[in-house]
Amino acid sequence: MTRYIARRLAFAVPTLAGIVVLVFALLHLAPGSPVSALGEGSGRRVSQQAAHEMQRLYGLDRPLPERFARWISRVARLDFGESFVDHRPVLARIGEALPYTLVLNGLALLLTLAIAVPLGVAAGGRPEGSLDRASSAILFALYSLPAFWAALLLQTLFSVKLRWLPLYGVASDLPEGGAAGFLDRASHLVLPVLCLTYGSLAFFARLIRSSVAETRNADYVLAARARGLSRRQALWKHAFRNALIPLVTLLGLVLPGLLSGSVIIERIFAWPGLGRLYFDSILSRDYPVILALSLLGAVSTLVLTLVADIASAVADPRVRDGSIS
Amino acid sequence: MNEAAAAGFPAGRAGSSARSRPGRLSRSARGALAVVAFLWVVAAVSPLFSARAAEIRLNDRLLAPSRAHPFGTDDLGRDLLARVIAATPISLAIGTTAAAVSVLIGFSVGATAGWFGGMVDLVLSRLVEVVLCFPVLFLLLALAAFLPPSPLTVIFAIGLTTWPGDARFARAEILKTRDLDYTRAARSAGASTPRILVRHLLPVAAPPLLVSAAFGVGWAILAEAALSFLGVGLPPPMASWGGILAVAPAYIEDAWWIALFPGLALFATVSAYNLLAAGLREATTEKSVNR
Repeated sequence: MTRYIARRLAFAVPTLAGIVVLVFALLHLAPGSPVSALGEGSGRRVSQQAAHEMQRLYGLDRPLPERFARWISRVARLDFGESFVDHRPVLARIGEALPYTLVLNGLALLLTLAIAVPLGVAAGGRPEGSLDRASSAILFALYSLPAFWAALLLQTLFSVKLRWLPLYGVASDLPEGGAAGFLDRASHLVLPVLCLTYGSLAFFARLIRSSVAETRNADYVLAARARGLSRRQALWKHAFRNALIPLVTLLGLVLPGLLSGSVIIERIFAWPGLGRLYFDSILSRDYPVILALSLLGAVSTLVLTLVADIASAVADPRVRDGSIS
Repeated sequence: MNEAAAAGFPAGRAGSSARSRPGRLSRSARGALAVVAFLWVVAAVSPLFSARAAEIRLNDRLLAPSRAHPFGTDDLGRDLLARVIAATPISLAIGTTAAAVSVLIGFSVGATAGWFGGMVDLVLSRLVEVVLCFPVLFLLLALAAFLPPSPLTVIFAIGLTTWPGDARFARAEILKTRDLDYTRAARSAGASTPRILVRHLLPVAAPPLLVSAAFGVGWAILAEAALSFLGVGLPPPMASWGGILAVAPAYIEDAWWIALFPGLALFATVSAYNLLAAGLREATTEKSVNR
C-alpha cells in the first residue's frame, strides 16, 4: 500500500512540473501582450512611451527565463500578483468568484448523481429492457446536445414565453430577505444547474449502467441471490458497490469538465463565477488572473485524481498490485 | 464535455449481438450515415445560397418564419435559412480537419508510447496527463483568443487541445496487439518496425481508431461552435452555426428563431456523427468477437 502511494506520488511530480511549464509557456510565447490589448482594436490610444512604462511596470521587458523564475518563486508562496484590470490581488478576485462556481457545480454534480445512480442501476439490472433502451436513446441525444443551445432554448421557453424563471443573474435587483429572497435566489439557479447537469448525466449513467450490467451475473451476485436476497438488494448491495470503484476513480477527472462547462454556462446566465472570470480575463488579457486560474484548475485536478487513485487502491487490492488500472 | 469526449460515449452495448448482425451497421447508424451524406450534399450546393446569405435588408430585420423566409430573418434582415445552409461547409470542414489534426497528433504520440514502452512511454504518458489536467475550454480559449483569428487558428486550437484522448486510446490499442503471437512471429521473421506497425498492427487497430475519429468529428464541430458562440472563433464575415448563434442571446426576447434553427442544424450534425461512431463501434466490436 505504502509502495503504491509512494509510486503514485512520484509520478505526480513530473506532471506537476509539466503543468507549471505549460501554463507559463502558453501565455508568454503567444503573440500579443496586455499592452497590445490596450492598443489597436480597444479603441484606446496608448503612446509608445506609456506602453514601455507598462511593460517595465509588469516586468514584461525582462527575458523569458527571468520572468519564469520570478513567477515560480512567487507562485510557490501562493502570491499570484495583482489583476491588470482592477489592480486588486488575483487571489481576492478568485476568492469572490469561487463560491458562485462551487454552488452551481456542487448542485449540478449532486443532481447528476441523484439521477444517474438509480437510472444506471435500473438500466444495468435489465440490459436491453425497455427502460435501458429508452434511457440510452435519451442520454445519447443529451450527450450530443450543445450546452449553450440548450441554455438558449430553456431561456426562451421558461423565461421569455412562460415567464416562470428569471433569464439570468444571481438574484433580482431588489434584494428580498427571508423565504422570498431564498426562493428568488433558488429560481435563478434552476436553469444553469439544469444545463450543467444534463451533459455529465449521460456519462455517469452509462458508466454505472455498464458496470452493473457486467457484474449483475457475477458469481458473488448470484450467490447473494441464492442466499435469498431480492433482485433489488443483490443489485444495490453487490453489483452497484463494485460499480462505485470506477466511479470514484473518474470523479477527479470530472473537475476539468465542470470548469469547461462553467465558462459557457456562466457567460450565458451572467453568473459571476470562475468560468466567467476566466473568460473576461482572456478578453482583457489579464495575464495574472489567467495564469492563476489555469494553474489552480490543473493542480486541483491533479490532486483530486491522486486522491481518487489512492482511494480506489485502498478499496480494491487489484488496483494496488496493478492487475487492473 | 471533455471527459466524455476523451473516453468516448460509454455506450458499450454488451450483449446486443442478438439484434444486429456482426460486421454490419445497425439501422440507426445507417440512418446517421444518410444524414451525414445529406449534410455534405448541402455543403456542396451551399455556394448557390451564399449571395442570399450575405444580403442585408434592414427593412426585413427580425422577421418571424414565413413562406418567404422559412427560418425567419436575423438582426440585419438576412435570410436565416440561407445563412444556415451557407454555414454548413464551414462547420463541417473545420470539424473534420480539427478532428484529423487531433487524431494525427494523438495517434502518433499514443502509438509511439505504446510501441516503445519504457522511458518513452513514461515521458509521453506524463505529457498526456499534463494536458488532461486542464479544462479543455481554458486551453481552447487561450489559444483561440491569443493567436490571430483565422480558420487555421480554430483548427489548431481544437486539434492541440483534444489529442490526449486519442493518444490514450491509441496507446491502449497498440499495447493490446504489440505482444500478440503474430506480431512476435513477424518480428522473429525479421520484419522491420515500420512494417510491423503498418502491416500487422494498423489493420487490427484501425477499426477502433476510426470510431474514435468519428466521435472526434462530432466533438470538434461542437468545440468550434462553442468558440464562435463565445466570439473567439472564426473572424466575421465567416459564419459557422455557432457564429450565427452568437447574436441569439441579444434577441432572445424578440426572435426565438435565431436561436432555434442554427442550433438544430448543429445538434443534428453532432448527433449524426456520434450515432455513426457508436454504430461503427458496435459493428467492429462484434466482428472481432466472431473471429
